[in-house]
Amino acid sequence: MGTVHARSLDPLPMHGPELGVHADDIEAPEIELEPKQEVLENKDVVVQRVHIDGLGRTKEDLLTYEISGVFRAKNLIDVMRRSHEARQKLLRLGIFRRVEVVIDTSRGEDALPNGLDVTFEVTELRRMTGSYNTMVGNNEGSMVLGLKLPNVLGRAEKMTFQFSYGTKETSYGLSFFKPQPGHFERNISLNMYKVTGQFPWSSLRETDRGVSAEMSFPVWKTSQTLKWEGVWRELGCLARTASFAVREESGHSLKSSLSHSMVIDTRNSSILPKKGGLLKIHQELAGYTGGDASFLKEDFEIQLNKTLFWDSVLSASLWGGLLLPIGDKPTSIADRFYLGGPTSIRGFSMYSMGPQSEGMAGDYLGGEGYWAGGLHLYTPLPFRPGRGGFGDLFRTHFFLNAGNLCNLNYGQGPQAHLKKLAECIRWSYGLGIVLRLGNIARLELNYCIPMGVQSGDRICDGVQFGAGIRFL
Amino acid sequence: MSLAAEAFVSQLSAAEPWPETATLYQPLKEDQILLSDCASSLAVQAYLRMCNLPVRVACRANAEYMSPSGKIPFIQVGNQVVSELGPIVQFTKAKGHSLSDGLDDVQRAEMKAYMELVNNMLLTAELYIQWCDDATAAEISRPRYSSPYSWPLSNILAYQKQYEVRRKMNAIGWGGKTLEQVYEDVSQCCQALSQRLGTQPFFFNKQPTELDALVFGHLFTILTTRLTSTELAERIKSYSNLLSFCRRIEQAYFEDKSS
Repeated sequence: MGTVHARSLDPLPMHGPELGVHADDIEAPEIELEPKQEVLENKDVVVQRVHIDGLGRTKEDLLTYEISGVFRAKNLIDVMRRSHEARQKLLRLGIFRRVEVVIDTSRGEDALPNGLDVTFEVTELRRMTGSYNTMVGNNEGSMVLGLKLPNVLGRAEKMTFQFSYGTKETSYGLSFFKPQPGHFERNISLNMYKVTGQFPWSSLRETDRGVSAEMSFPVWKTSQTLKWEGVWRELGCLARTASFAVREESGHSLKSSLSHSMVIDTRNSSILPKKGGLLKIHQELAGYTGGDASFLKEDFEIQLNKTLFWDSVLSASLWGGLLLPIGDKPTSIADRFYLGGPTSIRGFSMYSMGPQSEGMAGDYLGGEGYWAGGLHLYTPLPFRPGRGGFGDLFRTHFFLNAGNLCNLNYGQGPQAHLKKLAECIRWSYGLGIVLRLGNIARLELNYCIPMGVQSGDRICDGVQFGAGIRFL
Repeated sequence: MSLAAEAFVSQLSAAEPWPETATLYQPLKEDQILLSDCASSLAVQAYLRMCNLPVRVACRANAEYMSPSGKIPFIQVGNQVVSELGPIVQFTKAKGHSLSDGLDDVQRAEMKAYMELVNNMLLTAELYIQWCDDATAAEISRPRYSSPYSWPLSNILAYQKQYEVRRKMNAIGWGGKTLEQVYEDVSQCCQALSQRLGTQPFFFNKQPTELDALVFGHLFTILTTRLTSTELAERIKSYSNLLSFCRRIEQAYFEDKSS
């Protein structure tokens, strides 16, 4: 009786009037068969019951927050829209593999003539999912095992474990995530990890073992994150030939830091956006909660995108950061900033600019202050091959990057700092092809012309390949 | 250090003279350094002084991790870093400074054997007392070893070190020894050294060698370091020629500089 199946709601338009037309189309043939059939389009309705079928481990109280909006619907279009929203919310919890919505007229003794029942048919994810993959890179092969327990306690808590066993290094991470029921954006997560990184540009090897607790919540249009992190860091020389400056930094240290970050992201996509902007501010205060490392670190990222003629996009970004040591101890090589490479200032080798140790092949020691700016013009491929399909994953781009990385003498004041950051600017320009990989990473193949090269900087004149998730 | 690397280092460094800026790195002298590290460091210092090679001593909390072999002490000479007495002797030899050139093959073999004896007995006994004797480990070794670090890293590192040393002791068969047996081993070692020394000023007559530096480093440190028990020092004090040997080297190589 007057059933509207709203299966596969994804292509459903969100605007009322169009939906009405859609509903009419479905109802029309049925009216002839059953004269009692009514057109419910603009009629007031009451949602009497909402059922959720297929629940196993999930606690119902969690879902009542997500679907409560459905009860407030006043007419059929509203019911469909709110059901659709509720479905999206349910899927976002990451605990269901499939959610279907069935809207039907109410039945039973207390059924109102204009009463509707909404039924969500859900299929829960398995209690545990696993993954296995192998990775090769950085002169090392590794095997990665992942275990995920979605919905571990029945209220959308997620537990993930990842273990990577490599020919050189072993890493693991365990994390527990819990959202506040009804407010998925407000969540806490606890992490425990061990990661090892090798940084050949600094002849440095770092092993971090840490625990962290973080809390995320939205405020107005921003997303805020507060985090405490305790890390036991072990630094060592990558090779016997490492410079003495790196050798001096070897050993163990404990960092305990409080950090805050704020993000406003109005871009339509994080990789190759067409419009919108991004503002990211990160600050970290280490040392006040114990540990050996004491510093204040400020870091920001701005990106603005604007679509111009012929599908081309102009993108401008600016990064900057400062690291202030607190107390007498100098900052650690592990905390300082690095700049250069195919993901920041193109045309330079990876993290190969700025302060350097003495010697023939000096190691890059990082700097306490940096800025970097980029201007990109993205255009579709020439002649647009594969338009509307594969070809849309590619873009050509023209870029102009500039930046500087140096150590600041904090006795001198801001005027001197600005002067220092403004002299000896490294910059580069060129063009290349960008490939978007899903919505998380991108690959670039560029022809770069580095300029403003300072002595000691390692450059990559000509073709440079880059892969990463964060790009200037 | 592998043989090839050693050969490479020797060749590279042969050409350059000994610089004034040569530095020896060891853990913090007042709060951190332990008996065994102090002994090894003193042995190297004595050796370099015997060779008349100037070296500046620098104390760093992370000296152990800065060292290329993870052992104390190590020296930085120009661009080179070399750790432990054996490689340092090789290194200075490549630069044309040697104490054992005057020895014949038999004496050289004998010297090496005695150096092994000192390393295997005295050094191992020091490590045993530091980390396997619970009282010493709890009162002296762990607090001193972890002094530069903040909690909880201090505990983690101290227990990690203790675990490593104990595992090594088990591997070489010292795990089951009692403290008394270790003292007895030290006595035997000292007896052997005392007999070899006899009434000579140095182990190989008039000239000091690296063996003298090594023995001096260990005996002098044991005699002057306060532990939970004085037993270890007492064992050495019963060999009077070893005591006068220590005094002789101290006077000849360490006192003239300070006065």
